[in-house]
Amino acid sequence: MEDRSAADAAVMERGKKIGSTGVGGGALVSGSGKRAFGTVLAALILCLIGIMAFSIRLFSVIKYESVIHEFDPYFNYRVTKYLTKAGIYEFWNWFDDRTWYPLGRVIGGTVYPGLTITAGTMWWILNAFNIPLSVETVCVFTAPIFSSFAAWATYLLTSEVKGRGAGLTAAALLAMVPSYISRSVAGSYDNEAVAIFALIFTFYLYVKTLNTGSLFYATLNALAYFYMVCSWGGYTFIINLIPMHVLLCIVTGRYSSRLYIAYAPLVILGTLLAALVPVVGFNAVMTSEHFASFLVFVIIHVAALAHYIKRVLSPKQYSTAVSFVITFGMAGAAALIAILAAMVAASPTKGWSGRSLSLLDPTYASKYIPIIASVSEHQPPTWPSYFMDINVLAFLVPAGIIACFLPLSDSSSFVVLYLVTSVYFSGVMVRLMLVLAPAACVLSGIALSEAFAVLTRSIKYQDLSESAAVDSTATLNSTNENEASVKEVKDKAPKRGKKKTVEKEVEKKRKRLLGLPMEASAVGILLLIIMGSFYVVHCVWAAAEAYSAPSIVLTSQTPDGGLHVFDDFREAYAWLNHNTGEDDKVASWWDYGYQTTAMANRTVIVDNNTWNNTHIATVGTAMSSPERQAWEIFQSLDVKYVFVIFGGLVGYPSDDINKFLWMVRIGGGVFPHIREPDYLRDGHYRIDSQATPTMLNCLMYKLSYYRFAEADGKGYDRVRRTEIGKKYFKLNYFEEVFTTQHWMVRIYKLKPPRNLVSAVKSKKRTQKKKTTR
Amino acid sequence: MGRGCATALALVLFFLAITAGEDDRVSDLLRRQAGSKDGIIELDDTGIRHLAASANRPYALLVFFDAHHLRERSGLKLDELRGEFSLLARSYIKNNAGGSGESKIFFCALEFQRAQASFAMFGVNALPHGRFLAPGSGPLNASESMMELNDMVRSAEGMAAYVESKIRHKVGAIDRPPLVSRNQLLLVAAAAIVAAPYVLKKLLIEGKDTPFHNSKLWCVGALLVYFFSVAGGMHNIIRKMPLFMPDRNDPSKIVAFYQGSGMQLGAEGFAVGFLYTVVGLVALDHWKTGYEIHGYLPRGWL
Repeated sequence: MEDRSAADAAVMERGKKIGSTGVGGGALVSGSGKRAFGTVLAALILCLIGIMAFSIRLFSVIKYESVIHEFDPYFNYRVTKYLTKAGIYEFWNWFDDRTWYPLGRVIGGTVYPGLTITAGTMWWILNAFNIPLSVETVCVFTAPIFSSFAAWATYLLTSEVKGRGAGLTAAALLAMVPSYISRSVAGSYDNEAVAIFALIFTFYLYVKTLNTGSLFYATLNALAYFYMVCSWGGYTFIINLIPMHVLLCIVTGRYSSRLYIAYAPLVILGTLLAALVPVVGFNAVMTSEHFASFLVFVIIHVAALAHYIKRVLSPKQYSTAVSFVITFGMAGAAALIAILAAMVAASPTKGWSGRSLSLLDPTYASKYIPIIASVSEHQPPTWPSYFMDINVLAFLVPAGIIACFLPLSDSSSFVVLYLVTSVYFSGVMVRLMLVLAPAACVLSGIALSEAFAVLTRSIKYQDLSESAAVDSTATLNSTNENEASVKEVKDKAPKRGKKKTVEKEVEKKRKRLLGLPMEASAVGILLLIIMGSFYVVHCVWAAAEAYSAPSIVLTSQTPDGGLHVFDDFREAYAWLNHNTGEDDKVASWWDYGYQTTAMANRTVIVDNNTWNNTHIATVGTAMSSPERQAWEIFQSLDVKYVFVIFGGLVGYPSDDINKFLWMVRIGGGVFPHIREPDYLRDGHYRIDSQATPTMLNCLMYKLSYYRFAEADGKGYDRVRRTEIGKKYFKLNYFEEVFTTQHWMVRIYKLKPPRNLVSAVKSKKRTQKKKTTR
Repeated sequence: MGRGCATALALVLFFLAITAGEDDRVSDLLRRQAGSKDGIIELDDTGIRHLAASANRPYALLVFFDAHHLRERSGLKLDELRGEFSLLARSYIKNNAGGSGESKIFFCALEFQRAQASFAMFGVNALPHGRFLAPGSGPLNASESMMELNDMVRSAEGMAAYVESKIRHKVGAIDRPPLVSRNQLLLVAAAAIVAAPYVLKKLLIEGKDTPFHNSKLWCVGALLVYFFSVAGGMHNIIRKMPLFMPDRNDPSKIVAFYQGSGMQLGAEGFAVGFLYTVVGLVALDHWKTGYEIHGYLPRGWL
């Protein structure tokens, strides 16, 4: 709420400044009454935009229920719960021994705390007012609330660049852009939910500082940057984009003291603040993602010095001085670069962490890091992704770019740079589409608003333009001639000498008032409205259908039009919670680690944090090995239960069999005896009678298809659309303990080591275990 | 007794002869390997028969099946594969020179025109194709293990993993020549250093009217990056998508638009990216200048 009132205050303040470019861009609107009306209207519109941004994200709650979604949000939820229960200091020192068994994980030092602290604070405030909401409810609705904030921040940013009309349009576009909805529906409680707001707000404060040169805003900017660093690893985008823009400004001769104030405090304060976040710490000065900002920090000082000297010296002296400095400075610069290069080369990954390398060299991840390549949101997008995620904005953005160049200002160049870099990065990794979305909204907002301004103006001032133009009438035919004559003037202009300026002025005046013919404007407005409606329809559809599924509860339409609910995951987690020992270890593929710890409250071997590749590879190897070897691996990890996700009975495609090749690849990356070709028949992955013996004997196959043929009589897998290869087999080392209603989760218990004379070794082990207990 | 001695002697002599023969062949192979430019031994029908036929051959052979007349077919990527194969061969030779791995495996290539009989003998009727001949395995037949040249084993690293699993000997680091050679890098650096004073001087003293100050250039650049990205250009580079591909049902036709999500062809991406960009520009043209909007509709309609 604080932010909203801040936004409103900003609206009031701006209302005084830009009365002339009010809503709709009416250039000739004047009078304080109209201005006040415009401000009130803008505030009202902003309120409605906030409500829309919030409510369009509630489809998931209405269609399903108020539940946390997917995988990572469960971890964040668990951390938030811990924070609200144990307090902030306990949270910083939290060592979690219920995950990555037996290694454990330092949570306080390895999470971005922004989201959890935000939600924790919201919960605390609500409780202080005696509003007894559960932590889960607060978590579920954090993302929609921050979407409203993000829309208001977009308004601020865009109106700082191109005026209030563009700001309102951009805010409305952002409130429902599908790409952002996909990460911020109610229940998707992830870092991005608050980070996008922080990102836009930081950019707004940067632009604001750039426009005003106020140190106050510069300080706020550093604080906003701090919040962003707390919230999301994507903060490196900010700390590279802003230096890039500063460099661009210097190179294109746009250096000013405002630029200095916008940048220098941010680097110093921002870096100091960033180093306070445990997960970043000294990375803020040690890794090369941050080096660009320091380099530009040096450059901006050089530029400032050059400007100062230029002011002091006469032009001739200055040029001599520059030549002198350049000749001698080159040597120093070369030495500096050599040192820097040596420093970068000395660090293990050449100073770049794997994830950032995969941005610059897009083929890097797919070659060397299967664990990055295996995640679907790290794939490069194709063109339909853009249409799905930003829809008609893809068409509006180029127009917005050009509008930003007419005329180019410091702030508009920043927006263009933001768009260009984010669109490039989104091309590398589909998840970065999320960073592109605000930029696309800002530029499309500018394009739409300018288009509306031109079209409405040409309708409104039709008569005026007729009388003002020297030889034009507003009818269509003469406009044609008009065009020809204008071109003629343009061609001949250089030849004529003095008359040029006069003609230019006339032309300018005419151009400003010319606008479009009435009919064309009407058609244009109609087209824009149709396009806008299409966008709204698409966004609502995306919010309701495409992005609202919590993936923890699934539904399908029954033939008679009813709704069938698949609640197998929670069923399985509840079973684990109620029927297993408090300290039992549960193994599964890493995708389900967070959910198991959060919902079943059991210790897991690996989870979605994926910080230890070897550990994940161990589980991958166990899943890819024959029963006995797998049993030994799990036994060595003290695992008691193993569960697999199986979709063959109901046709749920993202089950473990479909993910299995990645387990093989990741396992094989560390343990070379697991080889992918052994699981493939002629390069094809299959589980029918043509499958390889290795495939049919591996643990994953057995756990997935155990007793499957008994269920439907034929053993027909509805995901792979084939009959399975091996239908009847026994398990010797595992026993089935629970299978959910639709067979989607199958839980197995490891049999205790056999009490045979031949199994002396294992017998000894159990005895030892018993004695230690 | 005498007969026994004679038999033993004969046997010893026979084995000696065989081992001598093997030695001959190994040294011959080593000589030919040293003589080849890319570490790959080019063989023909007689050559492969001579080298591979023996039952107790101490070395393994990895054979790459090549065909000059199919090199133009870009879909097969024979050139690229052959390059990777040669990288593997050179790296192995370099990393194992003088060690126990030397002469443990030899990398050979068979060209279709010169070794048609061998192609038939191995039953190779589709390329790309690779075959591993384990040491000591007897007469040639089609049951020798085949090297899958699919996506995973297309790179020298993938092939190296395959070879390592087969001969149980380390190939070592693949010595891939850098994209930009050292000399080129030095040249670029030198050019940058020479140009830097000029550029700096221009920027600092004149402060305007350099290409850097031309906002139109920046604008075009921004639009180009936008076009490249929304066209899924990165996807095409990472996935190495061709511009278009022949129709599976009718090879004379080409498919420019791939049906199905999650994949796209090069031309398709560029077409749509162009659409995204140009429609945007046309929309701009409408509202900014107003000159061309009526070009699309008959005059009578308005």
